[in-house]
Amino acid sequence: MKDFPDYAAGDSALHSLNPLTKLILTFVLCVACFLTKDHIFMASVILCDVCLAAAAGMFRRSLRVLASLLALAFILFFVQVLSVRQGSVVLSLPAGFYLTDCGVSSSLTSALRMTAALTPLALMLSVTKMSGLPNVLVKLLRVPYRYAFVLTAAIRFMPIFFEETARIMEAQTARGVEHDTGSFLKKARLMLPVCAPAFASSVRRIKAGAVSARLRGAGLRTRECVYKNYPFGAPDAAAFFFCALVTAAAIIV
Amino acid sequence: MIRIDGLGFCYQGASKQALSDITLDIRDGDFIGVTGPSGAGKTTLAFALSGVIPHHLKGEFSGSVRIGDIDTAKASPEEIARRVGIVCQDAEGQLLASTAEDEMLFGLENFGTPREEIEDRISYALDSAGITDLRHRTISSLSGGQKRKLAFASITALRPEVIVLDEPTADLDPQSSRRVFETLRALSVSRGATVIIAEQKVMLLCEFADRLAVMDGGRIALEGPVREVLRQGDRLEEAGVGMPGVSVLSRRLKEAGLYSGDIPVSLAEGERMMRKAAADAAF
Ligand SMILES: Nc1ncnc2c1ncn2[C@@H]1O[C@H](COP(=O)(O)OP(=O)(O)O)[C@@H](O)[C@H]1O
Ligand SMILES: [Mg+2]
Repeated sequence: MKDFPDYAAGDSALHSLNPLTKLILTFVLCVACFLTKDHIFMASVILCDVCLAAAAGMFRRSLRVLASLLALAFILFFVQVLSVRQGSVVLSLPAGFYLTDCGVSSSLTSALRMTAALTPLALMLSVTKMSGLPNVLVKLLRVPYRYAFVLTAAIRFMPIFFEETARIMEAQTARGVEHDTGSFLKKARLMLPVCAPAFASSVRRIKAGAVSARLRGAGLRTRECVYKNYPFGAPDAAAFFFCALVTAAAIIV
Repeated sequence: MIRIDGLGFCYQGASKQALSDITLDIRDGDFIGVTGPSGAGKTTLAFALSGVIPHHLKGEFSGSVRIGDIDTAKASPEEIARRVGIVCQDAEGQLLASTAEDEMLFGLENFGTPREEIEDRISYALDSAGITDLRHRTISSLSGGQKRKLAFASITALRPEVIVLDEPTADLDPQSSRRVFETLRALSVSRGATVIIAEQKVMLLCEFADRLAVMDGGRIALEGPVREVLRQGDRLEEAGVGMPGVSVLSRRLKEAGLYSGDIPVSLAEGERMMRKAAADAAF
């Protein structure tokens, strides 16, 4: 779970895209995953992301990220599949639990959808500097800095949450909780009680970040403050074309 | 001029006051060291000076902190930020950007530093912290000490009138710790910046600071010019603060009747003391 990415330095085409382009591309891919029910479409999004990551020299990293996301997806699947009661029973389990056909297919869709929607986000975060997103929002779209900050914090919640989860699990491992051994089910069961404190400490970290920003004058930040320029280039045009294709595909399938 | 008057603070939900009845005047350009055992209230005092208290942390606040012509409880966090820069004890938590360069840029941009000055400010601050080579590194790849130096540089680049530092050398090696103090001295001497530094390394504090404030249990136990504070060795011990080695040595020599001069506060003064004691003994 420790591999949900933060920025990794590089000079690939993906790195050099305008942050706004990356934001739009990510947004389009995420929304497309929620609009469609097509498993092949979602799987293609994942595949496409891995390919893009590979092109940016981050193939192995992207596989590790994917593994983390799949672990999370499995928990989601597990919780959902046990709670759905509609449809015909395909498997009875002890303690009054059972699996239904509807449950299995809807849980599979949600798990896949979550994975497919989060991979583009993960990729964007690994190729975009933390300052890039609020800067383009403020400078190019004239969004007031405080809203840009909140949006960025929301986007960054995932990586922070993963980091905190990893931290708490490490601390528990040090105290003898065996996160590394046992069946997948046992691991998932151990994960659940970690999530609540990880969530709380992520919120705390985001709040502390906001305070730290204000102590350095974030409240004074305006469009004119942004030092760097964020021009659009040919790769951005290509990316927008790709966005249009994805949108069309999502609508058709 | 900074004027702390009857300052008290109790964190929300805490059973005892973190600060009580702190009164302290700090003149412009002063270099003041704050020391004391952990839990003494140094961090809370640093928060009060930078407006974190009462603006961002909840609790019961009493008394007042005035920085120049503003009252920190009434001024906006931005007005305070224009005057006071703080290097927090949790330096890592203070960092906001992906790369060292972006981190340096953030504050400079916010305070509207002229574009043509920005490059100079960044390279100067990185150089004085000794981290020029880290400029293009991602922050997640830096060590704890490197992050601390970066947090320090990102504040010194802003050249605030008042710079508050909370244990800025906590995970630094002796040489880097010294460098931090030398940078601060330069800021204080050449730019007239007021430096308030919470620090456990008493030896360095005594060498560089003009004044020393010793905190204990949320109060200021002792305050004054460094030498005057060091003369009160018993009270320092009571407050749980160790004196620099040379000062302890001078007490021992005095007790043995081998030295009668003033208390030394730096290694150079210690050397002079030893030479004098040796010369007297030979005589
Ligand atoms: N967030 C907090 N909530 C409650 N009590 C706190 C908090 N932070 C510090 N304290 C308490 O306030 C007192 C002073 O702490 P602090 O200013 O951090 O001391 P120092 O920096 O000298 O170690 C301590 O007793 C500490 O337990
Ligand atoms: Mg402290």
